[in-house]
Amino acid sequence: MTAAAGHTPDVKPPVTPAAHPTALPPGRVSGRVRRRFGLWTTRFGLAVFVVLALGPIAWGVVTSLMPTKALTQSPPDLALSNLTLVNYVEVLTTRGSLVDALIDSAIVATLTASISLALGSAAAYALARLRVPGANRILLAVLATQMFPGIVIAIPLFLVYSQLRIIDTYPALAITYLSFTLPVVIWILKGFFEAIPPQLERAAAVDGASAFQTFRMIILPISLPSLFAAGVFAFIEAWNEFFFAIILTRVQIKTVPMAIAEFSGQYQTLYGQMLASAVLASIPVVVLAIVFRRYILQGFVEGAVKG
Amino acid sequence: MADLQLIGVSKRFGTVFACADVNLEIADGEFVTLLGPSGCGKTTTLNILAGLEDVTSGEVRIGGRVVNDLGPFERDIAMVFQNYALYPHMTVAENIGFTLRLRKRPKAEIQARVAQVAATLELELLLERLPRELSGGQQQRVALGRALIREPAVFLFDEPFSNLDAALRVRMRTEIKELHQRLRVTSVFVTHDQEEAMSISDRVAVMRAGRVEQVGTPEEVYARPVSTYVARFIGSPQMDLLSGDLVASADGGAGFRVGSLTFPVPAGVAAGVAQGARDMAIRPEHVTLDPAGIGAVVRVVQPLGPMTTVTVVWDGGTLTARLPGMAHLAPGQPVGVGLDPDHLLFFDRTSGRRIHP
Repeated sequence: MTAAAGHTPDVKPPVTPAAHPTALPPGRVSGRVRRRFGLWTTRFGLAVFVVLALGPIAWGVVTSLMPTKALTQSPPDLALSNLTLVNYVEVLTTRGSLVDALIDSAIVATLTASISLALGSAAAYALARLRVPGANRILLAVLATQMFPGIVIAIPLFLVYSQLRIIDTYPALAITYLSFTLPVVIWILKGFFEAIPPQLERAAAVDGASAFQTFRMIILPISLPSLFAAGVFAFIEAWNEFFFAIILTRVQIKTVPMAIAEFSGQYQTLYGQMLASAVLASIPVVVLAIVFRRYILQGFVEGAVKG
Repeated sequence: MADLQLIGVSKRFGTVFACADVNLEIADGEFVTLLGPSGCGKTTTLNILAGLEDVTSGEVRIGGRVVNDLGPFERDIAMVFQNYALYPHMTVAENIGFTLRLRKRPKAEIQARVAQVAATLELELLLERLPRELSGGQQQRVALGRALIREPAVFLFDEPFSNLDAALRVRMRTEIKELHQRLRVTSVFVTHDQEEAMSISDRVAVMRAGRVEQVGTPEEVYARPVSTYVARFIGSPQMDLLSGDLVASADGGAGFRVGSLTFPVPAGVAAGVAQGARDMAIRPEHVTLDPAGIGAVVRVVQPLGPMTTVTVVWDGGTLTARLPGMAHLAPGQPVGVGLDPDHLLFFDRTSGRRIHP
């Protein structure tokens, strides 16, 4: 067989160094140099950001490990030889100490997160998937509750709680915190439920599941990551809350933010103990955030439907 | 097992009718396919049968009983969804056995039934896997298993193969057909793939804009389409539609003139169709090409192995012919075009309805 006339294979000229000039015209910066410059600028920017974000935390951790005396002298003596756990021992062993506050906070935050999830998931599912008359208006109303500044409702809440005799109790705080966690939980979960393929519910209906069975046996299990995310949000909100806690409690209950604030007195501030408490109080939140991150990445819905 | 009836069923979403006056009777044990392009109302019709969608008007009967007000479960149907809709947090065994668990059947019974269904569908080795660990074909089988375990009166399939690759689709088609031949359960299948519809159905209902355009056996809808819509929707390559005039020929017979060519029309045909502007259609396999003839020119040749598709053009018209084996024709080559007079179809140009035969 002969090659067809006119069809000659494309022969590329041999690549020679001359074909790839390395010298650049004067005044031009090569792409590689420019890319490098961009990379280093990004790195520098990120480094500044990291310092700004982590600096206060690092400072807090260091301070919590220093005796008060070393911190209050001028200039502060931050020698490594000063490092001590005395602040931690102090806050954890003193009577009526941080430990009680941690327990109180844990109870209030758990209560808030649980009720938020129980009510929020049901409400969100109904609003996302069931035929609820005026669903959009309800959602807007839920959102509108977030527009009131806390200070506006603090006094009325105090009066109502006084009448109900629940000032200084766990329910008083949990109910108050629900007023700002529940709307957000409803919105977060509604978005998630809307993303679940409706065929799953249809398949469940064909299999003979009632609306509630579908919710309990299909929707909730596959929504665990989102429920967890929403729950962590509600927990952290309740854990960190200070303003309502200080108004609605007296002696029975003292949450962690209140306990930390008490280290700052009229005549002296125990910086070391204050920051040791703050570090301890951050631990549950940090742990939750780490667990939450691993959980959400599991991609639970993967494999549910194709297409 | 049960027969199915849709009597004057309409479904309106806002101002749009997804189904408009659908009338369809499906006999006990029959396999009927709802065929049509996207948005023609076939899936809505299936959802109405399943009880997943309420009707705006009309009546749905399963086994002679009106089921308009019954939920999907009470209708004794099982459905396979387009994207399988497997429960992602349940294993294959749990997915298949879910309906029995809801019915609070004893664990041993559920296990036995799941094992039985798994054996039918060759899923035995996958029972402990999660849906995300399965291939598309395996997921489809699980979805099928979930329907089978119900032992329902009616199977409903909503484009179950559309997410599978071509080879797997053909295999699953065979499996579904085999399964139906074995179980003889009344089945309604929805697809937009005419080849799929033709290959597995006892009857095909071609839908258009919410209405049933034609119901018939695959042979009927293929050979005797009621309208140009059905004619062009069924068959691949598409049936060619020639716009021309039915005229009297010099020898006393009749001819159909399309541009520069006039095709002879048998006297019997001419008697049934009034002269004038008409649309004529013919399947590509009924077109013959004569390399020694003249009148048309080959434009495109597509060899497909067992057959070759050849597109020819002439002044004022174009036709596709399907020739057996490998046709040795070249683009630009002059050919004569012949039409099998027994397979000519004539349509009214305005309404698109068939007027002959």
